[in-house]
Amino acid sequence: MSSINLTLKIWRQQNSDALGQLETYTLDAIHTDMSFLEMLDVLNEKLTKEGQDPVAFDHDCREGICGMCGAIIDGVAHGPEKEVTLCQLHMRHFKDGDTIVIEPFRSRAYPVKRDLLIDRSALDRIIQSGGYVSVNTGGTVDGNSIPIPSQQSELAMDAAACIGCGACVASCPNGAAMLFTSAKVSQLALLPQGQVERKQRALAMVEQMDKEGFGNCTNAKECEAVCPKGISIRNIARLNKEYLFAAMTEG
Amino acid sequence: MWFVRLLSSSIGKKLIMATSGLLLVLFLMTHAAGNATIFMSSDVFQGYADELHSHPLIVLIFSISLLVLVLCHVAVGLYLFWENRQVSTSRYIITKRVVKNSFASETMPYTGLVVLLFLSVHIFGFTFSPKHVDISVTVKNLLSNFFYSLFYVIAFIALTIHLSHGFWSMLQTFGINHPRYNTLISRLTLGIPLFFLLIFGGVALYFMTGLGANY
Ligand code: HEM
Ligand code: SF4
Ligand code: FES
Repeated sequence: MSSINLTLKIWRQQNSDALGQLETYTLDAIHTDMSFLEMLDVLNEKLTKEGQDPVAFDHDCREGICGMCGAIIDGVAHGPEKEVTLCQLHMRHFKDGDTIVIEPFRSRAYPVKRDLLIDRSALDRIIQSGGYVSVNTGGTVDGNSIPIPSQQSELAMDAAACIGCGACVASCPNGAAMLFTSAKVSQLALLPQGQVERKQRALAMVEQMDKEGFGNCTNAKECEAVCPKGISIRNIARLNKEYLFAAMTEG
Repeated sequence: MWFVRLLSSSIGKKLIMATSGLLLVLFLMTHAAGNATIFMSSDVFQGYADELHSHPLIVLIFSISLLVLVLCHVAVGLYLFWENRQVSTSRYIITKRVVKNSFASETMPYTGLVVLLFLSVHIFGFTFSPKHVDISVTVKNLLSNFFYSLFYVIAFIALTIHLSHGFWSMLQTFGINHPRYNTLISRLTLGIPLFFLLIFGGVALYFMTGLGANY
C-alpha cells in the first residue's frame, strides 16, 4: 500500500448567508486505498484535534447507492473517475504532491448550508410533484401477471439507477435539472404501472422543475458525462417527447 | 391555455428553437439548390430568379414566414441565453468541461449572432438591390469584392459551426434519440452543415477567386 501527500483547497462557509472562501490544508501520508471521504475524515480528525471546525460534508451509505455525497473536485463533479460517486472515488487516482480543489455543488436551486453541505430539497420537490404512482391498484397481483417486454424493463431500470445526487445540475453550464427529472419521469413512463398518471406526471414535474429556478437545457451533454450512474441523455429526449405530447393532449 | 403553458415552459422554448431551426434548415436547402444554378451560367441563374419572381405572392409569403421564423429563433435564443447567463459561469473557482468538442454548443449564441449580422448585410445587398440591375449582375458585382466575399465565407463557417451542434440538438429536443439512428444523426449533423458550406461558400469563392469572372 502506498501513501501520498496532498494539499487541499476546500470551500469553507459558515452558513447560507456568510461569504465563503477557499482554505488551504496539507495532509500527509494518505493511503491510496482510502476513499475520498475517508481522506476527508482524516482531515476532520486532524482539524478537530487542533481545535478547528471540521469540514461539513454530506454522506450516508458510502457505497455509491444513496446519493448523499458529492462535491466538485478540481472542476469536475464527483471527481476525475467516470461513473463513480465521491464516496467510491479512491485516492489512487491522485498523485503525490497534488493540490486538490474541493467546492460544493452549485446551482441557483441549491443553497450552500455550510462548507460542502448543500440543500438539494428542490430535487425532492420535483419528485413530490409527480414522481410516484398513486392510483389504487387493489391487492398484490401475482408475479409476472403484468407482462413487460424485457427491453422496456431494462430501460426503466437504467433510468431508475438515478440516485438523486444532483451532480448533473451542478455540472450543467445552465444549471438545468433535465437529466434528473427525465430519469424520474422515464422510469415510470416506460412501465405499465406508470401509464395512468403519465401525462399529469410529465406536466407537473416539468412545471416544478421550472419553478425551482433550474436553468434551460441547451443539450451540452455535461450531465451525462459526470453522472455516477451513467444515466443517458436519451432520457432527456424521452422527457421532451413526453412533455410535448402531454401538453398537447392534456394541459 | 394549453399552448401558452407549453411555450412558457423551459421545454416549450426549446421546442420553438428546434421548430424554427428545422424550418430554417429546410429553407436553406431550397436556397442552396437555387443558388447552385450560379455554377451553370448567369443565364440559368437569371432564368431561375425571374421565374421565382414572376410569382410575387409566393415570394411574399415565403419572405414573411422567414422573417417570423428568424425573429422567433433569435428572440427566444437570446432570451434563453440571457436567462442561462444568470447561472453565472463563475460559480466555481475551477470550471472544467468534461465533454470533448464542446466548442459548437458553447458558442451557439455567438455563431448565431454572426449569422444574424450576415443576414442583414445579405438582405440589404440582394433583396433591396437596385431593381433596374439584373440580379445575376448584382451577385457578380458584390461578390467580386474580396472583402465582401471573405465576410460571406466567414459567416458560412459560423453557420456550419452553429448547425454542427444545432442539427443534433434539434432532433434531441424533438425527442429523437435512438441507438439505431444515432450514427446516422451524427453523420447528418456533420454532413448537412458541410453541404451548406460547400454550396454557399463555393459561390462566394467562385467570384472571390475570379473563377466566375465570365460566368
Ligand atoms: C439569426 C441569428 C441566429 C441566432 C441568434 C441563433 C441562436 C441560436 C441559439 C442561441 C441556439 C441555442 C438554443 C438552445 O439550445 O436552447 C440556437 C439553436 C439552433 N439554431 Fe440558431 N440562431 C440563428 C440563426 C440560425 C439559422 C439561420 C439557423 C438555420 C440554418 C439556425 C438553426 C438552429 C438550430 C437547428 C438550433 C438547435 C435548436 C435546439 O437546440 O433544439 N439558427 N440558435
Ligand atoms: S441523473 Fe445522475 S447525476 Fe443526476 S441526480 Fe441522478 S444519479 Fe445524480
Ligand atoms: S455516500 Fe451514499 S452515494 Fe456516496
